[in-house]
Amino acid sequence: MIAEQGALSATTNNVANVNTAGYSREQAVLVASDPVVVDPLTFGTGVTLQSVESIRDPILESQIQQQTQSQGQFSTLASALQQTQVNFTSSTGDIGTAISKFFDSINQLSTNPSDLSLRQGVLTAASNVATSFNTTANSLTRQQTSLDLSVVQQVGQINQLTQQIAQLNVQVSNLQNVGENAGTFIDQRTRAIDQLSSLVDVSVIPSDNTLTLITANGAPLVTGQKSFQLQTQLNSSGLHDVYSQGADISGAITSGQLGGTLQARDQEIPAISAQLDTLAAGLANAVNGVQVGGFDLNGHAGTNLFNPPPVSGVGAAASLSVAITDPALIAASSDGSAGSNGNAEAMYALNSQAIIGGQSPTDYYSGIVFNVGNGAANASAEQTASSLVLQQLNDQRAAVSGVSLNEEAANMVQYQDAYSASAQVITTINTMMQTVINMKTS
Amino acid sequence: MRVNPNPYSDILAAVAQTQQQIFSDEQQIASGRSVIVPSDNPAAAAVLVQNADQTSQADQFQRSIGSIQGAIQNSDAALSSVTASLKQAITLGVEGANGTNNSADRAAIATQVQGIQSQLLSLANLSYQGNYVFAGTATQTTPYVFDPNSTSGVTYQGNTGVNSVTLGNHFSLQTNLPGSQLFSASGGDVFQSIQDLITSLQSGTGIDTAVTELGAASNHIDAQRVFYGNALNQMSAQQTYLSTETTQLAQQQNTAGGADLTSVISNLTTAQTSLQATLAAVGQTAHTDLFNYLK
Repeated sequence: MIAEQGALSATTNNVANVNTAGYSREQAVLVASDPVVVDPLTFGTGVTLQSVESIRDPILESQIQQQTQSQGQFSTLASALQQTQVNFTSSTGDIGTAISKFFDSINQLSTNPSDLSLRQGVLTAASNVATSFNTTANSLTRQQTSLDLSVVQQVGQINQLTQQIAQLNVQVSNLQNVGENAGTFIDQRTRAIDQLSSLVDVSVIPSDNTLTLITANGAPLVTGQKSFQLQTQLNSSGLHDVYSQGADISGAITSGQLGGTLQARDQEIPAISAQLDTLAAGLANAVNGVQVGGFDLNGHAGTNLFNPPPVSGVGAAASLSVAITDPALIAASSDGSAGSNGNAEAMYALNSQAIIGGQSPTDYYSGIVFNVGNGAANASAEQTASSLVLQQLNDQRAAVSGVSLNEEAANMVQYQDAYSASAQVITTINTMMQTVINMKTS
Repeated sequence: MRVNPNPYSDILAAVAQTQQQIFSDEQQIASGRSVIVPSDNPAAAAVLVQNADQTSQADQFQRSIGSIQGAIQNSDAALSSVTASLKQAITLGVEGANGTNNSADRAAIATQVQGIQSQLLSLANLSYQGNYVFAGTATQTTPYVFDPNSTSGVTYQGNTGVNSVTLGNHFSLQTNLPGSQLFSASGGDVFQSIQDLITSLQSGTGIDTAVTELGAASNHIDAQRVFYGNALNQMSAQQTYLSTETTQLAQQQNTAGGADLTSVISNLTTAQTSLQATLAAVGQTAHTDLFNYLK
């Protein structure tokens, strides 16, 4: 009867934890007690509640952890790139529109090259081109800075979780060393590892009563009862690198939210920035090249329209600016006379010339838009796919470990019936005993 | 087989996905566009960037044509007046050649021809929107000034430069003829012939030669006017072409990035029905288990 009562308490615990995240259902393990042999008969001695064990599938759990890592990576990457692509959505102020308007203004100037208001129009359009590059480049830099902040925060969360897991390791091994069910602590530890998996690529190496966690490149996070903290350190670009045991492991973290954040911060956004720099520098250099080959309204040789971009091109988009403020200085003339538009025509022709990486400015820009959109679309698709897989794995885990109220109700009835039956047996024995006792007294 | 006893998280995920679909459909309907951010369709987004650039160019070409047309029409009209003036001078020349005229009569006619010479000078110095249209590219310099030391009576101060303006992809139009080519061409020199007429009327000799020269100059101007007529015709044809191109670009834009409203609305209806069905099913079935029946 005590065994049945114990089994019923497992059911009670299951029902109580029906909504507890990460809880694995417990099952009472009832075994028949050792029989007593009274020659020549063997008598059963009843039932013992041997243990209460948690039902879980370790292989499924390791798959969930892996899938959680890619889900964390792609969801972070997707949300970063979704944010990036807003800068490349067609609007009145985007780079593509600004470049179109700039060349439009030159075409208009070409119809009346000595007109000061048309010249002013070109200057304004050139300044809008510079502003659109500046705004987009700065927005990418801001995003990089905010991703950098995420790196620091995520490393903090990782450290907190590894500390927690090390403590749970202590509790689990303490209980298991004395042969107790450490199910609740294992559930908590599994949940902490799931959370850790969402942050960083982590491999679980189980050992007797405890486990070791390492990152993909082998940097230790938890060994047994000890956790190893990750550190962040500023690098020369003003961004934080992730260090483990004094070694920079930033490049080796490829999965989890931290992996996704680092990928967006160190690869995706810099790649887009580099393309913007190429476009800004290519356009500015080409326009300047034509400008110095012509003559301004006063018949003087032309000077740069844009301040020359850095020779390396790095930072060209962020620093692009117009060099002149006097509209008369636009070198529209090819022969030195005020009414000549030959050089304005040459400048307009840049519009369709392969001046940037073998492409016209607009074609190159449309390539950037494609890359940005494609990156965001791919990351979103990967995120959706890994979410679906993760959802299925979680379903499978719930099928194994989840608490079913129907099952618990059935178990309860079963244990209750067994309890009643045992009680009935005792009542019967009691009646028999009474009969024997009454025999003697009567 | 044991199944997941708590499917709520799956149901919520499905509901969230349907709601996302509804949101995206509604956004498409509201904007009329299927590509709102580049990731909606990266290839179409790239096409739309180029399409926007080409549309902007076509609009600009139309504006540029509008700007050029005025100058060319005014130039052509001025040249028309030049031929009229030359015809008038020829008439005066023929009249002056009549033997009944004495020198005083011829001097009076010469004075009239000098008036025509002034008219021609002012026509050759036509200015449109602040630019001398017959000065070559030296549009800020008065092209012709009286010059008593010159045999033609005038000096050309402009240059021989011409401008061309891009008015379409692979279409560039020359927009001016320099005054030297129009009014000072050998074998059709307007100012030389008018000066010769004045001189011959004053001297009484060589009037017929001068009249012949004037006829040649008038023919020359008429021939040059073909340039302006052609330019106007070409611009008008280009305007038609550009408006066709703009229409095509708008169609391309719609194909690449316009929302297909029929299918979007159909998707939206399906998504809404699915959402309602999911929620109704959950509401009706989800909360029954064996505990409800144990009394």
